[in-house]
Amino acid sequence: MLTTIIPLIGRRLAISVFILLIVSVLLFLVLHVLPVDPAAMSMPPTATIAEIEAKRIEMGLDKPLPQQYLIWLSQVLHGDFGTSIHFRRGVLGLVLDTLPATIELAVLSMIIASVLGIVGGLVLFHVRGTRKEPAMDFGSILLLSIPEFLWSLFFILLFGVALHVLPFTGRLDPDMRLPLGTGFLLFDSLAAGRPDIFWSAVKHMILPCFALGIAFSPTIMRVLRSSLIDVYQEDYIHLARLRGLSERRILVRHALKNAILPTLSLMGVQFGFLFGGTLLVEVIYSYPGLGNLMVDAVRNADLPIIQAVGLAYCLVVLVINTVVDTFYLVLNPKLRIR
Amino acid sequence: MSMDMLIAKDLAVSAALADGTVPVIQELNFSLPQGKILGLVGESGAGKSMIGRTVAQLLPPGFAVSSGELMFNGQDLVRMPAETRRELLGREIAFVPQEPLSGLNPVLTIGQQIDEHLARLNVGNRRERRARALDMLAAVHLPRPADLLGKYPHQLSGGMCQRVLIAMAFASRPKLLIADEPTTALDVTIQARIVQLIAEMQRNEGTSVIFITHDLRLAAQICDSIMVLYAGRPAEYGPAREVFARPAHPYTRCLQLSNPSMSGSGRGLYALPERMPGLSALKGINGCLFGPRCPSVVEACNRRQPPYVASENGHLAACVRCETTPAIAAPALVDVGAPVLGEPLLKVEGLTKTFRIDSSFFRRSDFTAVKDVNFTLHQNEFIGIVGESGSGKSTVARMMCGLEKLTAGSLTIAGRDVSDGSKASQAHQRAHVQMVFQDPQSALNPRRKVASIVTQAMEATNDGDWGERLARAEALLSEIGLPPEAATRFPSQLSGGQKQRVNIARALCVAPNILVADEIVSGLDVSVQAQLLNLLLRLRRERHFSMLFISHDLSVVRYLCDRVLVMYRGEVVESGPTAEVFADPRHPYTRTLLAAVPPDDPSAIWKPQPVEGESAAVCEAMVANA
Amino acid sequence: MIRVLPPWLRSGRVLAGLVIVAIIGLCAVFAPYLAPHDPNEQNLVSTLLPPAWTEGGDVSFLLGTDSLGRDVLSRLIYGARVAMMVAVFASLGAMLLGAVLAYIAGYFGGRVDALIGRAVDVWMSFPPVVLSLILMVGLGVGLRNVILAIIVVDWTRFCRVLRAEVMVVARKDYVSAARLVGFSHWRTITREIVPATLPLLITLVSLEMGIAVIVEAILSFVGMSVSATTPAWGQMVADARQYIYDNPWNLMFPIFTIFLAVFGFNMLGDGLRRTLDVRVTATQRV
Repeated sequence: MLTTIIPLIGRRLAISVFILLIVSVLLFLVLHVLPVDPAAMSMPPTATIAEIEAKRIEMGLDKPLPQQYLIWLSQVLHGDFGTSIHFRRGVLGLVLDTLPATIELAVLSMIIASVLGIVGGLVLFHVRGTRKEPAMDFGSILLLSIPEFLWSLFFILLFGVALHVLPFTGRLDPDMRLPLGTGFLLFDSLAAGRPDIFWSAVKHMILPCFALGIAFSPTIMRVLRSSLIDVYQEDYIHLARLRGLSERRILVRHALKNAILPTLSLMGVQFGFLFGGTLLVEVIYSYPGLGNLMVDAVRNADLPIIQAVGLAYCLVVLVINTVVDTFYLVLNPKLRIR
Repeated sequence: MSMDMLIAKDLAVSAALADGTVPVIQELNFSLPQGKILGLVGESGAGKSMIGRTVAQLLPPGFAVSSGELMFNGQDLVRMPAETRRELLGREIAFVPQEPLSGLNPVLTIGQQIDEHLARLNVGNRRERRARALDMLAAVHLPRPADLLGKYPHQLSGGMCQRVLIAMAFASRPKLLIADEPTTALDVTIQARIVQLIAEMQRNEGTSVIFITHDLRLAAQICDSIMVLYAGRPAEYGPAREVFARPAHPYTRCLQLSNPSMSGSGRGLYALPERMPGLSALKGINGCLFGPRCPSVVEACNRRQPPYVASENGHLAACVRCETTPAIAAPALVDVGAPVLGEPLLKVEGLTKTFRIDSSFFRRSDFTAVKDVNFTLHQNEFIGIVGESGSGKSTVARMMCGLEKLTAGSLTIAGRDVSDGSKASQAHQRAHVQMVFQDPQSALNPRRKVASIVTQAMEATNDGDWGERLARAEALLSEIGLPPEAATRFPSQLSGGQKQRVNIARALCVAPNILVADEIVSGLDVSVQAQLLNLLLRLRRERHFSMLFISHDLSVVRYLCDRVLVMYRGEVVESGPTAEVFADPRHPYTRTLLAAVPPDDPSAIWKPQPVEGESAAVCEAMVANA
Repeated sequence: MIRVLPPWLRSGRVLAGLVIVAIIGLCAVFAPYLAPHDPNEQNLVSTLLPPAWTEGGDVSFLLGTDSLGRDVLSRLIYGARVAMMVAVFASLGAMLLGAVLAYIAGYFGGRVDALIGRAVDVWMSFPPVVLSLILMVGLGVGLRNVILAIIVVDWTRFCRVLRAEVMVVARKDYVSAARLVGFSHWRTITREIVPATLPLLITLVSLEMGIAVIVEAILSFVGMSVSATTPAWGQMVADARQYIYDNPWNLMFPIFTIFLAVFGFNMLGDGLRRTLDVRVTATQRV
């Protein structure tokens, strides 16, 4: 199996790099038709026009666009993503500080969304044809209509303000310090032997992750249900019954294995959206991740950060897609073998 | 002691439809002894597949056994608890389906699926099961069984999948096998082999078989007894050769006469009018279900359902007019002898089509679908192109009307070379050649009314308003035998045969000289097929056009076409006047093809080419040596 | 009564969805007549008032006031303008762009299809929220730019789904038949393919409207949507969040309104999907 998959994944990675390059060009273009002048933004209000002009030349903003892009690209390939206008720190460092937090949030949310989605899909499939079906179907549309940021706010209102059982700001209790390490708090805290930090981190992640997870599960539920319905129309299911296999066996070994394929496809797309959804969730929960970094940068027109964070989002989505595609290749022999 | 394996006593199945209960199967009576084969013959909608479902008690929702008994080996199948029945399925009762390619789970290997089946049969441990699986695959003559176990269904051909399914069915040495049209979806040469395989396995294991088919000739060859079904009620039942040679029921006889023969008996086709009543129409018929279409019908037939009349050796027929049956004859052929050929209308030289397959970013492989084909089509001539799947015949058809561009070669239509594919050439091509498509379901836009479809050519040139188009549509419809009211209906309100007529009418709108018909009667019932074939012959008499008739059905080509081209893997391997080619085939592939059709006379021994690997390997060797 | 309605309307979901959308639409159109107060009128005396039916509420401010004393109900009604404008124009624009490309890609196939497919792939490797945010940075705030940003981001959603359907239809024989009787490419697409995909298109537009409302709300939440003087639901949420302990009602009302709008569009889209889907396969396996 490996020999058939590796060339396909290799191809995928090559395409991803290509896409990343194109995205960087597009980002560059979009951001450099700004109505705001980054040079003016980075100077104190008392600066004269001459000083601003000098700053512009210093920042290289007078050169033609393609040249500016190539300069930027060559710097990036050397690991230099520029300096933040607002924070006055290296951009790469800022991104690497915040990226693990967002990834942790996203991964946990994806797990929740997958579990809820698959279980919900099975339940929806199970009740089809019964009297409970219209109610549950209606319920899934209801759930669909609540985007993650509404869930976030609702959870804050309910669990944070009204019931006061869970925290909804930041990553840790205010008195705790981040342990040094990879940036992945759940891992670092256990590695440092601090279960109290671990639990604090978990508690802070519950509301945002469930908000994201619940928001993205209804689509998965509905696709799994309709995939199962489609699969059950297939001849081989009928024939499996004629061979005397039990319904349970048919569901698990035959139907699910086939129905999971289009579901997985959709999950890949949804997880891309989910990762984008972390942006707003972080803002709402004041969670120190990529999202908050981006929003601050946007408010300050801090171009280097916007560019780098934009690329970071794109990179993670491409990674997610590649991982999901790999799973898909493993599970679907038609794509691997001619 | 030969006990009856399956006994049906007055079995009736009914369906709860929106407007009441309708009988789907009525008065089903048969007994299948051990080790014998019963053929269930009927057109689509006759209820034959429903019987298989009834045995397994896997009826669609709303369908249920309303009365009667179905006894398997002394056990009551209908009243048996579900768990007990599930124990029987796959063990003592086995099934072979119609569509082999979709009968296997696409994400599991063959080995995994066989292993699952054997595990259910409690065949020892993994190693034993694997050994058993290899034996099973060898028993159905599959090459390199060890490799096959690791393959997925999509890597196998239809014939190979069917062999695997047959192997799985016989793995448990079942007492009863139900084969539901097991060869309909397969190529002709493969069909013959599979049927032989089933017969061979059946002989070895002593299994009783219910063989469901629409092909009476095939059933007469391999079955011991035959039951002919019409609209859910048995019309005739008796020993196979007897039913075939001396049919008692008029329907059986008409069915026989609707089938074109391979030897060109010089008779026309008997075309039964209209079609078999569907489920919803059954309620309105009080008397004999076949009455409205029967040539021997009298007043008494319409009053009540005719009882079963027995003749000697257990031959039953549900008819009160059996004595008139032998007299039913097919109409004589109007055009006797070869038609007068006119000018050469279409000339093809060195026709080649290569498809480019971009399988990956860097690799680009070519697939030659058609290679160096030559023929000439004269006015008033019908040429048949026969071949199996992958022969390239459909591609040739598409090139004739301009749906595919030629990769090489020349195509001359009415004196003008249209191979360049220029706009002017295309217009010229369109005016002279029109295509009738195969699948009436996808050939008619469901959103357009029939009149709009039929006069679509007028729409292209903005010729005429709706009134004129409607008039033209009605004229065309009457020419092909549909009432003028059909013009304002939608395709979904028409039957398959009617849709195909609309298809033909659309092609005739521009009055082309040449019609290209790509498998236009495949998938239609025999009686509808006969109607359409007779229609084509009549149209030829009236309009004097030529036709390129593509088909995999040799008997149809024999009936309809003056000349035939036999295609194999993109090349024409043999061509000539139909009668000659069929009587004395030269090329080994043609011989294989013709031998694969069951002979007209059931007492003749049917011997398709011996099996040594797949047909392809045999023919390739022959082609290389030829 | 339900028989009087045309077939596509005969569904509880469609009706419910239409009612909700109609209510919001009416609010948008007739906002000046429906709103009791000027949405930007500040009443610094009565800030953060709770709804009229609770203790401390004032009947003249039915749903309460925000941190600057502006009437919540009026702001919600005026906010419907932004929401509906964005919903209608952004989804129609995304539909036009996505559908045209989908028809071209699905019908012609080959290299054109590969090119458009690659473009869609590139676009979709970017989370839409992030992309729309970045676009707003590039374009600047304003209603027109919000609509433009959403069109640029979301056309891929239309394109991808529609293209699959177009490819299925384009393979049908009746499309080839149309070409055979002399239909030009343009005619074939408009008369044979578009009608077949119209139900899907309508459903997608309806669902897209819900998505557009959400995206606009997110953008106005971070302050990158319309200008600060125009009332927008997302903005109301952002404001209310800061005073969540003082007046949680301020947060609940805009949340509920956003949810209601999206729910209405989703119901409509889902209902239409069922009523318009004429994929009747009458295969009776007898």
